[in-house]
Amino acid sequence: MSERVVISPTSRQEGHAELVMDVDDEGIVTKGRYFSITPVRGLERMVTGKAPEFAPVMTQRICGVCPIPHTLASVEAMDDSLGIEIPKAARQLRELTLAAHTINSHAIHQFLIAPDVVPEELMVTAINSVSEIRKTVQMVVDIVAGEGIHPSDVRIGGMARNISEIARKRLYARCKQLKPKLDDHVELIIGLVADKGLPEGLGVTNAPTLATDVLYGDRENFDLDRFTEIMPESWYDDPEIGKRACSTIPLYDGRNVEVGPRARLATFGDFKDRGVVAQHVARAVEMKMALSKIIDLLAELDTSAPVMADFEINGTGKLGIGAIEGPRGMDVHMAQVENSKTQFYSCLVPTTWNIPTMGPATEGFHHEFGPHVIRAYDPCLSCATHVIVIDDEDRSILKDEMIRI
Amino acid sequence: MVLGTYKQITLARSTDKQIQKISQDGGIASALLCFALDEKIIDGAVVAGPSEKMWKPMPTVALTSDDILAAAGTKYTLSPNLWMLKEAVRQYGLEKVGIVTIPCQTMGLRKMQSYPIGVRFMADKIALDIGIFCTENFSFESLKTFIQAKAGVDFDLVEKMDIGKGKFWVHTADDVISFPIKETHGYEQNGCKVCLDLVSELSDVSTGSIGAPDDWSAVMTRTDSGETIFSKAVDAGLIETKPMDEGKFGLEMLTKLATSKKEKAMKVIDDRKAMGLPVPFKASNEKEGDPLANV
Repeated sequence: MSERVVISPTSRQEGHAELVMDVDDEGIVTKGRYFSITPVRGLERMVTGKAPEFAPVMTQRICGVCPIPHTLASVEAMDDSLGIEIPKAARQLRELTLAAHTINSHAIHQFLIAPDVVPEELMVTAINSVSEIRKTVQMVVDIVAGEGIHPSDVRIGGMARNISEIARKRLYARCKQLKPKLDDHVELIIGLVADKGLPEGLGVTNAPTLATDVLYGDRENFDLDRFTEIMPESWYDDPEIGKRACSTIPLYDGRNVEVGPRARLATFGDFKDRGVVAQHVARAVEMKMALSKIIDLLAELDTSAPVMADFEINGTGKLGIGAIEGPRGMDVHMAQVENSKTQFYSCLVPTTWNIPTMGPATEGFHHEFGPHVIRAYDPCLSCATHVIVIDDEDRSILKDEMIRI
Repeated sequence: MVLGTYKQITLARSTDKQIQKISQDGGIASALLCFALDEKIIDGAVVAGPSEKMWKPMPTVALTSDDILAAAGTKYTLSPNLWMLKEAVRQYGLEKVGIVTIPCQTMGLRKMQSYPIGVRFMADKIALDIGIFCTENFSFESLKTFIQAKAGVDFDLVEKMDIGKGKFWVHTADDVISFPIKETHGYEQNGCKVCLDLVSELSDVSTGSIGAPDDWSAVMTRTDSGETIFSKAVDAGLIETKPMDEGKFGLEMLTKLATSKKEKAMKVIDDRKAMGLPVPFKASNEKEGDPLANV
């Protein structure tokens, strides 16, 4: 007899989603469906018709968890649409910002999964380690991008300013000091995930991986012609779920894909493992890669070099693409600028790609492992949607109005 | 307590000949910042540095003694130093910042540290605040207008400005012109009319010429860190001190001027409050205890 297990909302992730699993007599999942229940998305409408500079400022506010990838994807899309070639130092500063943010974001995720994998006696050690790492890498974002959460200095055409030599040396020293600590941390997390003894094959799917770059993002590797988007009604086999799901289903070559750290390592490296443990390991390994990239970039950076390109903001209506490898996967923003105004804007955010893949990944194992599978993707659903709460008491929200903006 | 809380009050001046030459009075702000920089108590400071326009200061991040000395001397116009603070800790990556502020900025600085909204991770990076005595301040255009009108000299020819002995002094290459300070009234910023603070009550160390003889400054150390830095600089021989004159031209005058600034401002605050206008201070009848307190 088939039974249905529903977890709503799924916990220790950003945003609200629901996991619906059909299970057999032994509790084994036969059909998993994961969908966003964070309603309505209106940010693209808000930036349309406005000055192009407004888009990065607005879209970074999609979410406070990964504002950096959104800012970068937005300026990259605008740069592409306006045909801007940014100076080398600006590119280095952008890469620095993203690499530091990636470490920060991965560390937060490790904090979120700590109750699953960290034994009580090691909890304080693990959390202190996460805090220590975040403190240093957030300092990098603070200094390089002007602000740790919503960076003010990442601009269309480059960066608002270069950092000072004293700041460069200081960051270099701090990041060097962080290296042994981060190495220990990564070892600790990988060890603890292994000790947890999750069943072999948990979370393994056949979904192809999609990534554009090792760490930063490369629009050349994102082929818009291979991308399609369908409505949830035609994806989920349950019409009720199709109606309630709040995000569209993006497909690449007509298939759902996996994005994120494991996808990057599999696409650009020789990382063969799949499933929950592999995702945690890939995430941890990527922290080391990002830190060594930060150290290299800081060593190379010329703090007297220009960081802003000369450009005209008129635009030719070219569809610009900004592809950024955010901590949770590929974040693509598309923008079209003409007559100095944004004519079209669209965001294809990381977790949206993962949503159709995450449900089926729970299949074949006991439903108690469902949340582990979901968390391994580090889902962050806020990008998908935004609403304005009118009244906290009765929880009324702006819906239609939001869509019409 | 019209002078705020302080540990010690003394007269002081820099022993450095170069600082003495370019400073407004005793060169205390310059001497303390240079000393703090050398001793690595601070790794940089936000000061009112020179800009392209003569006499128009520009908030500047000073990283060396030379940068600090370039900003020596009083400019009687606005330099929004707090505005530069974020850049000092962000793009310059400073972690122990020194800053020179006038009383309104001192209040702003402390408020910024108490409620760090929009200034994350900045409050804990302020290592030293040197507060300057201030009776009032002028916008650049006001200053230019009244100097040209009252002193009758071209603004570009002015080499030094000073306030003392009830007069505004304008020094040019070959002339010293003065006119009563009263004549500048009406040119000051509107906000100065409600300011209850003459002596930067919330700073670490405050300094100014009121109550001090020529080429000396009155210094009040107010916090532990301010006291430590000042006494270290004295011990190092960079600053010499002598006791403050308690009498008519010393402490008495400082107290009198601080009280009269408070009384005048309190009256304006009360009047504005009575009209229902927004004022960032309490009316005298809303205060518990001292009706002249800077709250």
